[in-house]
Amino acid sequence: MIRPRQHAVAGVCAGLAEHTGLPLAAVRAGACVLTATGGAGALLYVWLWATTPLAGTDAPALRAPLTRAASPATDANAAGAEDEQARDQARDGSSSRSALGRAPVTEILLGLALLLAGGAMVASRMGAQIPLAFFVPAVFVLIGAGLAWRQLHELRIGRASGPSAQIARVAGALALVVLGILLFFVSDAEPNVWTVFVAAASVLLGVGVVLAPWAVRLVRDLAEERAARAREVERAEFAAHLHDSVLQTLALIQQKAEPGSEASRLARGQERELRSWLFAETTGNGADGPLDLASELRRAAMQCEQEHAVRIDVVTTGRAVPEAPEGLLAATREAMLNAARHAGGTISVFSEASDGMLEVTVSDRGPGFDLASIGPERLGVRESIIGRMRRLGGSARIQPGPGGTGTRVVLRLPRARDAGENERAPAPSAETTPAPPHQEHR
Amino acid sequence: MSTTSSTPAAERLTTLIVDDHSIFRSGLRAELSADIDVLGEAGTVEEAVEAIRELRPVTVLLDVHLPGGRGGGGAEVIARTTGVERSAPGAPPAPGASVAPGVTVAPGADPTTAGRPPVFLALSVSDAADDVVRVIRAGARGYLTKSTSGAEVSAALHRVVAGDAVFSPLLAGFVLDAFGAAGGEEAASDEELDRLTRRELEVMRLIAQGYAYKEVASELFISIKTVETHVSSVLRKLQLSSRHELTAWALSRRLL
Repeated sequence: MIRPRQHAVAGVCAGLAEHTGLPLAAVRAGACVLTATGGAGALLYVWLWATTPLAGTDAPALRAPLTRAASPATDANAAGAEDEQARDQARDGSSSRSALGRAPVTEILLGLALLLAGGAMVASRMGAQIPLAFFVPAVFVLIGAGLAWRQLHELRIGRASGPSAQIARVAGALALVVLGILLFFVSDAEPNVWTVFVAAASVLLGVGVVLAPWAVRLVRDLAEERAARAREVERAEFAAHLHDSVLQTLALIQQKAEPGSEASRLARGQERELRSWLFAETTGNGADGPLDLASELRRAAMQCEQEHAVRIDVVTTGRAVPEAPEGLLAATREAMLNAARHAGGTISVFSEASDGMLEVTVSDRGPGFDLASIGPERLGVRESIIGRMRRLGGSARIQPGPGGTGTRVVLRLPRARDAGENERAPAPSAETTPAPPHQEHR
Repeated sequence: MSTTSSTPAAERLTTLIVDDHSIFRSGLRAELSADIDVLGEAGTVEEAVEAIRELRPVTVLLDVHLPGGRGGGGAEVIARTTGVERSAPGAPPAPGASVAPGVTVAPGADPTTAGRPPVFLALSVSDAADDVVRVIRAGARGYLTKSTSGAEVSAALHRVVAGDAVFSPLLAGFVLDAFGAAGGEEAASDEELDRLTRRELEVMRLIAQGYAYKEVASELFISIKTVETHVSSVLRKLQLSSRHELTAWALSRRLL
């Protein structure tokens, strides 16, 4: 049973109606009738309120103030002072329900106490002889135990406002338990030595019972923590082993496979993935925001490698470029794609960032490329690379590649003066500690 | 990258594979070209040191991360084998061991191997710059990632034996950063250790773009030999330079 988030008082009636399939109005009427005839409806309401979770999470419920009037709230308020107190406690309990989560023991205890109180009230009103000497202490014990467990739980999960205040509250709750237990005996006939002895033993036992789950939980937490640490160590060892063995094997596969072959491509892709997992670097996941030029280039290379049977070596040098210019990246991507489509094999991407200039070179060893022979319909190079760079205020040159065979696209973009200063400001050590170059460093 | 020079046919190129993964060792062994003799394999720092002392290979393919020893990995192997090899006749006396132990042979030197220390070529699964700088400064003549093909590793072995350095694009990129290339710094003369000359910068930029030495040569209209000279010179600077960036950079990563 779940209480809806849109509710009149606490959503208990709505939740019950939803759960049982009865019409909401009937449930509400029933609750009102039950409340009117001795307060059982209000008690049941409070108990259900305390024990059923709210729809969704522990986010503050969206209250609908206008619907509040048409509710059995007045009936609930009409309940006795004892109920009022218990209700407050139950509300406290409900506020920490999400924290208690799996073990609603507190709620059940509080509910039992409420049921006992309510039952006693109904019975006494019906004229039955209620052994108050039994009921009052029992309610005390139950409420005390419930409160103590809740406080202990909060203490355990570290949600307590202040440890000392929390301990005081635990002590208070325990005192309630002790008081309840003692009441059993005080209300008894004439006390003798045995009564006192049994009372003392009961108090100890009662407090022990109240504290035992907490102690057990504490020990279990400790064990869990230790296990978690062991798992962490294990994971580190695992990562080291993977790094040593699997990466080596993947390297070997790449070494033995034909360059640009499917096997080599797969091995390389897997190597990248494994590396990014091992070193938990942002190489593709969660990398929506702008990265520095080097990371962006590597990411673009990885994407290109996934789509085409090529190998792209990325070497970045020079100053750090925290925010890579999107236009330059787009042009570089286009150049990579061009090389992947028309040349294949190994493509080299090299970037050099000085204070005044960004330069990215994409070279391949393909059949070469003559700009003049390309029709105007081939927008790839003309528009996406040359045109784009010109619009950005930079330049793009297309030259013969290594050994005069392939293609080499040189993209140059002057860096804005202020941008350069911004970048250097946070890293004054840039002069003395240049960023190390990375080649596919993941 | 292509083989630009090779040892005389009469002399076999021997190597020792040092890597803690047997799968990788056997895989690499099978992939190396036929003219390279694999004398043995080692899996830990101790095994490697012992094997180098006993087998005296011409080259050592050295993994950067190795178990054993004092935890120094490949760099420790280089450091611990220098003294022994250097005692061989004909070798120059060891300078301050901490700076550049190992092999700083002039480029193009006679590739006779007798009495010479082995040449280390570092291989790593890691692309981290820390690893690169550590082994290079310990004395390795080159650095390749493990996904490099067997043919390329073979070619690189020939090159380091011939006295050249093997720079991967990554290493070139690191060099550019370490020597402040982005700030437009240029050395006035070849003697300057803390900066690269304009030509060296150009060569490094092209290597960082994946150019083979031959392709660098044709791009810059210079001979392959000149490219090799530039690269070796850069390696020497990388090993010997006390440039503040390099030191501070390494210190910040607790490498020195």
